[in-house]
Amino acid sequence: MESKSAGSSTNFVDQLVYPGDVVLDLSTMTNQTIKLGGGLRQDGDVISVMKAGRLRFSKPNKYWVESSQKRYVPHAEDSVLGIIVDSRSDNFLVDIKGPTLAFLPVLAFEGGTRRNIPKFEVGALIYVRVVKAIPGMNPELSCTDASGKAGEFGALKEGYMFECSTGLSRMLLSTPTCPVLDTLGKKLSFEIAVGLNGRVWVNASSPSTTIIVANALINSEVLSGVQQKIMAEKLLQRVQ
Amino acid sequence: MEQRLANCWRLTVNEKKFIESALLSELRVDGRGPLDYRKLNIKFGRDDGSAEIQLGETRVMSFVSAQLVQPYKDRPNEGTLSIFTEFSPMADPSFEPGRPGESAVELGRIIDRGLRESRAIDTESLCILSAKLVWAIRIDIHILDNAGNLVDAANIAALASLKTFRRPECSLGGEDGQQVVVHPPEVREPLPLIIHHLPVAVTFGFFSNENLVVLDPTYHEEAVMTGRMTATLNANGDVCAIQKPGGQGVFQRVIMHCLKLAHVKAGDITSKINDAVEKHNNERALQKIKRHSSSVAVDVCGATATLGGKQNQSHGDKEGSHLDQSKLKGETNFMECDATSSGQVQSSKKDGSSKNFTGGPSSWDPYSECVNSDLLKASLASRGQLTPSKQKDSRHETKPEEPVQEIKTVSAPLDTALTAGQSNEGKTLKDAVKPKNKRKKKTSTNNGN
Repeated sequence: MESKSAGSSTNFVDQLVYPGDVVLDLSTMTNQTIKLGGGLRQDGDVISVMKAGRLRFSKPNKYWVESSQKRYVPHAEDSVLGIIVDSRSDNFLVDIKGPTLAFLPVLAFEGGTRRNIPKFEVGALIYVRVVKAIPGMNPELSCTDASGKAGEFGALKEGYMFECSTGLSRMLLSTPTCPVLDTLGKKLSFEIAVGLNGRVWVNASSPSTTIIVANALINSEVLSGVQQKIMAEKLLQRVQ
Repeated sequence: MEQRLANCWRLTVNEKKFIESALLSELRVDGRGPLDYRKLNIKFGRDDGSAEIQLGETRVMSFVSAQLVQPYKDRPNEGTLSIFTEFSPMADPSFEPGRPGESAVELGRIIDRGLRESRAIDTESLCILSAKLVWAIRIDIHILDNAGNLVDAANIAALASLKTFRRPECSLGGEDGQQVVVHPPEVREPLPLIIHHLPVAVTFGFFSNENLVVLDPTYHEEAVMTGRMTATLNANGDVCAIQKPGGQGVFQRVIMHCLKLAHVKAGDITSKINDAVEKHNNERALQKIKRHSSSVAVDVCGATATLGGKQNQSHGDKEGSHLDQSKLKGETNFMECDATSSGQVQSSKKDGSSKNFTGGPSSWDPYSECVNSDLLKASLASRGQLTPSKQKDSRHETKPEEPVQEIKTVSAPLDTALTAGQSNEGKTLKDAVKPKNKRKKKTSTNNGN
C-alpha cells in the first residue's frame, strides 16, 4: 500500500506543480491518514494543488507545496522580524509584512511584569515568534519561546535589515547550511537573523562587511548552490 | 485603515543609522561610491517619441505627441510645450491614483523649467501660421517603478523621447496660402524637433552630517536623507535650473561643489543619451532600407530574363496602346520591372547579394506587346531616381552612374515621375503604381511630344 501510494505521487514530489494539478489519488490508498500542508486541497477523492510551487513530502505522511513570494502569510510558530509601529497600554503594534499589524503583548518577555515593560521606539527592529495566527484576526506575537525563555528573541541593535522573498528566507534557514552562507562564513565574521516573513538582518564589525554579506545574500536568490559559491567568492575577492 | 498601515514600507532605526555610518566610510548599501550613478538603460518603443528608461531599479516611460493648436496671444510665433506626469500606483504603494500629489507636480515643474527656461527646444520652428496655428508638444511621463531618484530618470526619459520624436511635415497651400496641409508620414518623411542642447537633471542628497553628499539616491537613502537638491545643467556647463525644496541648509561651497559634479555627470549622461538615440535611428534607417530593397528585388527578378526582347518590342508598339490602357494598370507592375531592369541590370549583377529572387518571369511574357515606350521611360526615370540613392546608402556600389545616365537621357515628364518615385519609398509596387488617370495624363502629354 505504502509503496503504491509512493509510486503514484513520486511523479510530483519535488517537482514544480501548478494550480489544478492532481497529485494524489486517494482511491488508490486506503486506511491511511495523510497530512496536507499549505497549497493543497482535497476535492473528493483527489488531492489537487492550489498554489504554484514545489511539492514536498516528509515522512511518514506530510505533503505540502512550497512557494516563494514577497508577501507573508502569518503562521503559528514562525520566527519573524517585526518593526514596532506603535505602543499601546497592553500590547505593541508590530509590522510583520502580513495583511494586518500584529500584537505583541507587553508582558510577553522573559520575566516580564507590569513594572519592567520594555521601551521600544517607533521603528525598532525585533525578532519575535508568532504565537497565534488566525486568518481574519491580528496575529499574536511573543518574545519568548514556548517554554518562556527569551532565547534569541528580542530587540536587534545596530546592523542593517533588508527585505527579500519568503523563498530566500527559507533557503537561508535550511539545513545543511546554504552554500552562500558557508562561503561567506569562511572568510568573514558576521551575524544574521532571518525572518520567515522575508526580512533579514545582518550585523558585522565594519560597514563594508555588512554590505558585502547583504549584497551576496540578495544576489543568491536565483542562483544554484555552485553559482552561489562562485558569486560569493567573486565578491570577496573584489574587497580583498 | 489597518490594511493601509500594514502595507506601507517602514524605515527602521537600524537602517537609518547604518546608511549614515556607512556613508562616513564612503560606502553605499548597494556597493556604489557616493558619487556613482546606477546603471542607465535607454530603450525606445516602436512609435517615434516613446522611450523607457531604467536607472537601477527605477523605471520611467515617456511619450511625446504633437497637436495643432492656436498659440498663446502673447506669443503668436511660438509653439508650446507641456509636461504631464503620472505616478502610477504600481510604482509605489504610497502613490494614489487620481490627482497628482505634491511630488508629481514638483517633478513635472523641474523638468518643465529645465526645458523651457533654457530654450532647449526651438519653439519658433513649431509655428506654422503666425497667430493661427502652431504645434503644441505634449510630453507624458509615466512612473512605472519607484526605486529612488525619479526626477533624474524622468528627465532622461523626456529628453530621449524628444530626440526621437518626429512631427508631421506641413505645407501651406490654398489660394491665399492660408490653408495648412498636414502630410501623413507615408507621403512626406516626418521631421525631428530642433533641440539646441540637452538639459540633464542631477539630484543630490544631503544628510545630517554636513560633509555627506550623495548622487542618485535610492529609495532607502531618500527616506534617510535630510535635504535634496536638483541641478539641471547641459553638457556645455550652462546651469539651466536649480531646485532645492526646503530641507537641511547647506553651505555655499557645498552647492558650488555639487554644481561642478553635476557638470561632469551631465556630460556623461548626455553622451549616453546621444549614443542610444543614434543607435536607434540607425536601426530605423536600416529597417527602411531593407524594406526598399525587398520591393526593388521583385523588379529585378522578373525582368532580367526578358530584357533585350522587351526593349525592341516596346519601341515598335507606340501606336496601339489605347486599347491596352486597361490592361496596363494590371501590368504596370511588370512594366515597371521592365523599366528598372534596364537601369538596374548592371547594379544587380554587381550586387548579387541578399535580394530574394522569388518571381516567375515566364508568366509575364504574354504582356510584352502592351508595353508603351513613353510610359517605360517615365517609370524608368522614377525608378532610376530611387535606385542610385539606395545603392549608395545600403551597398557600397561602385557604379551608380550608369542608372543615373539613363535618367538623364529621358526628358519630359520628370516631375510627375519624381513624385511617383518619392512616394514609392517604403511601400510595395502596388503603391508605386499611380492611379489610372495620372497615367493617362502622362501618355497624352508624351504623345503630344
